[in-house]
Amino acid sequence: MTEAAFSLSLAILALAAIAAVMAGGRARLWRAGRPAKVDWMRGLMALPKRYLVDVHHVVGRDPYAARMHALAAGGLLGGSALALLALLPPLGGSRLFWALVALAFAVALAGGFMVGRRRYPERPARLSGGKFQRLPFLLAAYAGGAFLVALDAALAGSVWPLAWPGLWLAAAGGLGLAMQLDRGPMRHAFAGALHLVAHPRAARFEGRRETALAPLNLEAPRLGVATPADFAWNRLAGFDACIQCGRCEVACPAFAAGQPLNPKRLIQDLATSMVPGATNVAYAGSPYPHAREVAGIGGPDLPIVGAGAMIHPDTLWSCTTCRACVEECPMMIEHVDAIVALRRFQTLELGALPEKAAAPLAELRYADEPQGRPLAARTDFAAGLDLPLISARAGAEVLLWLGEGAYDLRYGRTLRALVRLLHLAGVDFAVLGEEERDCGDIARRLGDEATFQRLARANIATLARHSFRRILTPDPHALHVLRNEYPALGGIYEVVHHSAFLDELVAEGRLGVAPLKASVTYHDPCYLGRYNGEIDAPRRLLDRLGLARLEMERSGRRSMCCGGGGGAPLSDIEGERRIPDIRMDQAAQTGAGIVAVACPQCTAMLEGVTGTRPEVRDIAELVLEAVEAMPARAREPAT
Amino acid sequence: MREPMNVAVLLSAGHHPVSGRACPVPVEMQAIGLGNALGAEMTGLHAGPASETIADALGHGLARLVHLKIGEADDPLASLIAALGTEKSALVLAGRVGQGGEDSGLLPYALARALGLPVVPDASALREGPEPSTLLVEQALPRGARRRLMVRLPALVTVHPAAPAPLPFAYAARRRGVVEERAGIASPRGERAIEERAYRPRPKLIAKSAAGASAAERLKAATEAASGGGRVLVDPPPEEAAREILAHLRDIGVLRG
Repeated sequence: MTEAAFSLSLAILALAAIAAVMAGGRARLWRAGRPAKVDWMRGLMALPKRYLVDVHHVVGRDPYAARMHALAAGGLLGGSALALLALLPPLGGSRLFWALVALAFAVALAGGFMVGRRRYPERPARLSGGKFQRLPFLLAAYAGGAFLVALDAALAGSVWPLAWPGLWLAAAGGLGLAMQLDRGPMRHAFAGALHLVAHPRAARFEGRRETALAPLNLEAPRLGVATPADFAWNRLAGFDACIQCGRCEVACPAFAAGQPLNPKRLIQDLATSMVPGATNVAYAGSPYPHAREVAGIGGPDLPIVGAGAMIHPDTLWSCTTCRACVEECPMMIEHVDAIVALRRFQTLELGALPEKAAAPLAELRYADEPQGRPLAARTDFAAGLDLPLISARAGAEVLLWLGEGAYDLRYGRTLRALVRLLHLAGVDFAVLGEEERDCGDIARRLGDEATFQRLARANIATLARHSFRRILTPDPHALHVLRNEYPALGGIYEVVHHSAFLDELVAEGRLGVAPLKASVTYHDPCYLGRYNGEIDAPRRLLDRLGLARLEMERSGRRSMCCGGGGGAPLSDIEGERRIPDIRMDQAAQTGAGIVAVACPQCTAMLEGVTGTRPEVRDIAELVLEAVEAMPARAREPAT
Repeated sequence: MREPMNVAVLLSAGHHPVSGRACPVPVEMQAIGLGNALGAEMTGLHAGPASETIADALGHGLARLVHLKIGEADDPLASLIAALGTEKSALVLAGRVGQGGEDSGLLPYALARALGLPVVPDASALREGPEPSTLLVEQALPRGARRRLMVRLPALVTVHPAAPAPLPFAYAARRRGVVEERAGIASPRGERAIEERAYRPRPKLIAKSAAGASAAERLKAATEAASGGGRVLVDPPPEEAAREILAHLRDIGVLRG
């Protein structure tokens, strides 16, 4: 082994020690957070799979970034580990082994070069500047220098004039990387690994639906999150895992509409605020659009939200809870959980809601309906139709949950179509009528957990009085709440969305359809697609109707929100554009004449778009049209 | 810096107009908001049987609530008179009318008469007056008009729905708030001869213009009649004001001769 190579190994050992100290210092900050239940053994065992499969599934959506990361991270970790192993005499003495080390560092150098090429000459808007712009140079210095040393060792010291400068270069670059491990770009490596192990929603790596909000203990001394110390420690680690790649900001509908929300900045503000004496000056990415003035200071026990703190309340209330950021995040950060936790404190402890959101919550408290309308009027849309009440009969095969859309005149057309289809297919169904209260979705997303739990318990008690096999609903928000969030409060139901249900009926031949001649693009509701993974049934159904189906630029699990979720239309935070206008533009770009929707919120938001645009039709309306297009005799279900 | 004013807010047991469930009366929650804006030390006062939702006022920015327990058939007036006698409030706030009860809007007046307080109805905003123990009240008049008054405290002010929206409900604040339960004064309501009749819409009185007048004149007569008429005198000498009032009363036929 050459002297330079031996020095390199020692230098890397020293760097590793420095890195460990820096990382340890950062990890100590997380101890300010509340304890969390973590299955360490299971997390550690699953880490390789979570990293290599789940993370890289997300990273791989940007193939350049995936290659870049594989080369840089693989080369850097591989080269450094091998160089450390060279301290063992039999390995260190082998020229072949040093050739391997040189190869690893050459790979890292190529990765570093790709990092640089992505950021220079022009940095894409979604990437952060500041320390991140220095990253390619530090990577290149460390990997390049170490490569020269290893090459010299592999060639038995024949290029020694290169080895010594190489050693200094590697030491300087390595020191630059290690010293800023707590605040610089490399933080994502150790925080991210730990976050994968101790992830607060570990089941999402096991292919389970992990989108339900966790119930809040309403007896707790403090409700919701006011300071970083109120977050569980593994949530704090999650914020530190952010690599500021900006994929969330590209996906965020509120960001696109110029509302003061940028998920990346939000996570950075949360990560910064856990440091004692924190300020937000070091952030070098895109800001919150039309950012409201804040003091930008914080600390582990200081408030996070407020004009005198880190995050302006308008930022919180801009979120539609569409989970697009969560879907795009390669570090598996749970942005929406953080936003709802912060909203809970604002709503439950401070009563600091946007003015327009306060009235619907008050109506929910005293009338079980966000607009204070009579519960008995929910079935008014069905005037003239036969709408069986479950209380008037022994029970039904299918309970039809109507949801809030039933009060809306436009959406009433959809529900009428659905009811007619159920009759045509001979489905044994019934509705709750005035026994149906609001499901509590809006209350929960607006942070009013107390009202949500009251409504949920009341609904569960109502449902327990009736006998049915499954619940059918055309409202994905109600579906998500009934299917995924009521179980934690003791209500376990089989819930099916009308798109899947109609798909079954058409597939079984219980509804005869004639092909429709039109082109259609399907807009995935967030609460059906991303929250529940149901993206195939609606498409299958549209195909069965013989429609020419065109896909929007963003569809399926990566679809864009209509702007109607999370109580965002109620809090109504001002931006530059309206989210549904943006989405409608995307629909119009496909050239389709119809946007097919499957959610009352999406219907209302997209119908609100003015100007020349594709027609908004619910899937149920399209199915009814196809059924009516059948010659009358053939329409009868086979008996 | 003046000492914070002591304000009592009267709270009634309301019912939601649609669901019929017990619920706070919005205009009373607005009264709490007006008191908070004054930086006052506030006490809620409710006289009535036990109720779940009275304490919800604590979630709207009220820190303390005194519940005077009386029976279903008792008149709250006696209990409130007694309680306000001991509370020594500089200002008593009430909603202009309850919601879902008798809704006569008479209680503030009966109370003010018993306590010898001036009543200022329909406040939409309150500010501290220029002198100690005074209050500037902005009164909401029909058609969005506003009138500013200065009252000497103590006084009773009723609040109009045009006042700023109440503070949103905070669950934890309700949980933290204190309800002091005291025994009220049993005072059975006398047999009052109240007759219940179905609501009958009254015809709107429209001034008639001369027959054969143009459409524009008829429209003018129809729209102007409802706007009150009369004249506005700013700071008139008392004699002139008295003369004007007497002249007006003679005009409309209240006084004769």
